[in-house]
Amino acid sequence: MASKYIALPHGVSEQTFDAAISAFRGVLGESNVLVSAEQLAPYIKTMMPVPDSDHAPSAALMATTVEQIQKIVGICNKYKVPVWPISTGKNLGYGSAAPAERGQVVLDLKRMNRILEVDKELAYALVEPGVTYKQLYDHIAERKLGLWLSMPAPSAIAGPVGNTLDRGVGYTPYGEHFLFACGMEVVLANGEVLRTGMGSMPGSNTWQVFKWGYGPYLDGIFTQSNYGIVTKFGFWLMPAPPVFKPFVIQYQDEEDIVEIVETIRPLRINGIIPNAVVIAHALYEAPTKARRSDYVTGSGSISDEAVRKITNDHNLGIWNVYAALYGTQEQVDVNWNIVRQAFGKSGKAKILTEKESAGDPAFAYRAALMRGDMTLKEFSLYNWRGGGGSMWFAPVSQARGGETLKQMSLTKEILARHGLDYSGEFIVGMRDMHHVVDVLYDKTNPKQVKAAYECFDELVSTFSAQGYGIYRVNTAFMDKVADTYGPVQRKINKTLKKALDPNGILAPGKSGIRL
Amino acid sequence: MRKTAPGAGAIGFMLVIVIAIAAATMTKAAFAAPPAPNGGFVWKDGPEVYTKVCGYCHEQGVGPVIRGRALPPVYIRNVVRNGSRAMPSFRIAEIDDESLTKLAEYISAN
Ligand SMILES: Cc1cc2nc3c(=O)[nH]c(=O)nc-3n(C[C@H](O)[C@H](O)[C@H](O)COP(=O)(O)OP(=O)(O)OC[C@H]3O[C@@H](n4cnc5c(N)ncnc54)[C@H](O)[C@@H]3O)c2cc1C
Ligand code: HEC
Repeated sequence: MASKYIALPHGVSEQTFDAAISAFRGVLGESNVLVSAEQLAPYIKTMMPVPDSDHAPSAALMATTVEQIQKIVGICNKYKVPVWPISTGKNLGYGSAAPAERGQVVLDLKRMNRILEVDKELAYALVEPGVTYKQLYDHIAERKLGLWLSMPAPSAIAGPVGNTLDRGVGYTPYGEHFLFACGMEVVLANGEVLRTGMGSMPGSNTWQVFKWGYGPYLDGIFTQSNYGIVTKFGFWLMPAPPVFKPFVIQYQDEEDIVEIVETIRPLRINGIIPNAVVIAHALYEAPTKARRSDYVTGSGSISDEAVRKITNDHNLGIWNVYAALYGTQEQVDVNWNIVRQAFGKSGKAKILTEKESAGDPAFAYRAALMRGDMTLKEFSLYNWRGGGGSMWFAPVSQARGGETLKQMSLTKEILARHGLDYSGEFIVGMRDMHHVVDVLYDKTNPKQVKAAYECFDELVSTFSAQGYGIYRVNTAFMDKVADTYGPVQRKINKTLKKALDPNGILAPGKSGIRL
Repeated sequence: MRKTAPGAGAIGFMLVIVIAIAAATMTKAAFAAPPAPNGGFVWKDGPEVYTKVCGYCHEQGVGPVIRGRALPPVYIRNVVRNGSRAMPSFRIAEIDDESLTKLAEYISAN
């Protein structure tokens, strides 16, 4: 194949693509249109167990202004070229910066990275897509604004726009990120620019303070979707509390998750514990302290005995509940007593604070996440097996003890059948839990690649058959997961797609949505 | 910019108009410009990239130590662009070529 391109969009000839590329260059300049294999290499590396070539882009465009993006969608409509927008592009374990389908053009907005506003009194920010949490964190620290961020574990290298648009989660009281989103600017497929909510009204100053606006609330349809390209994004920040008290509660048996969840739920719903608590299995935390190869030889999943030994050697529970209290000293003292009493009842819990956990790397990074500080320590997960293979399996569970135990056992059993370990955690919403499991495998080992793919496929099938839906998934499994939500939802998504993007140029395949 | 939205079928020919009008007026005139925009973020030098990106993994035991080993700059650049097993790749949009060259030289020499 003597093509100048490493891939072409589906159904687009090389000549047509030449014309599109030269039009893109006219808008962005030569150096912001990437087509060579070398320039596109960083977009191609994914952690999914499918050939990287299945998701290779044909080009990447680095745009920095709304006007450029409007012109780009014009060109895409003209030549029927699909674009896959990314903001900071670190969707690791969900498809990274690669498009859903081979040949799509990545619209990379990382360089569109102005912090437009941070309001100290009203505690909100308005940013462009390329702003990273680190950039915003430094901005706030330099100006001593006294505001905290909530971020996912890849903190420093990811950003609020991409994370929230994929409905990601963090670990502070603002951890369910989309709940705290307020106002978007969106370039539509026809080139029009929509500001959602109060932002539609000329001269309004309430865009970042009132979410709903007038009429249908539209922001939701621009998340996990392909109905527009978000170019500005508002969200709320948390005023730094005078006192922050992180703690961990360890339990030593897998069945104890029932007691943990039953104890936590009322504390969480009543706001005693305000943050997105994490109930992490030993194997989620172990990689910050130990290596798999020190405990396991040969193939197959790790044994329960080996996990037990790790917890003994490294001061971990089988379950590790990370939570924090926020407020004045008096508020924290009152709530701390309530927490201690609640968890003290059965005598099974071991409660540790910052004092007892000094120097513990797992506690340190969890505490950082719960206060919105930068840390990439959770990437230790990738050293567990090595080889850079990972997919997040993320079913939603009720916050009910019996349900969580059932989901955990089912996941562990399926993983084990494919020789993989249960590296899982539950992130506690108020009534729900994101059950998040890192399906780790060695991507350089073809046997494990095959096992991981089959395992994930089985996880999705088995869970959906039991009525357990998945909240977010990597690009290799988007259609399969879309099917689990039934034909009516797929149809309405398609109806919206036809209405808003009749040429199907925006991210075809995202969440299984295409013409 | 309170014009009627184009019907789905008319999208092709409407585009030219929409783009022309939108580019000229929409973001500037119809809405108040966002307050005091800062300039976009650009890297100062190699050490800044190292501390704000690489260091979070390579000084924390997530990735191996890479400073003080006189690793060849070309090798460092390659690993950053292509990624390597557990190491994610970084795009030109994140770390431009010039900053990457400075970063690689800094790591190699320090
Ligand atoms: C070790 C580890 C831990 C992780 N922990 C967490 C965690 O705690 N919580 C969590 O949520 N995730 C987590 N992740 C997953 C992921 O890395 C984060 O969610 C990350 O924030 C997503 O990348 P990003 O912010 O760069 O978004 P991007 O990659 O820029 O965007 C994500 C997706 O949103 C859409 N999108 C982006 N920008 C636009 C736009 N402007 N317009 C329209 N659509 C757009 C695209 O479909 C894109 O693929 C983790 C990953 C790893 C490797
Ligand atoms: C998210 C964590 C993370 C970040 C951020 C990161 N790295 Fe790495 N890096 C790793 C890991 C893990 C490895 C080991 C990869 C493997 O072999 O599986 C690695 C390996 C490397 C290697 C190869 C080392 C050797 O011994 O051969 C180089 C060079 C490197 N990284 C450079 C960088 C540079 C430069 C940056 C900043 C732009 C950076 N890394 C950012 C995690 C990271």
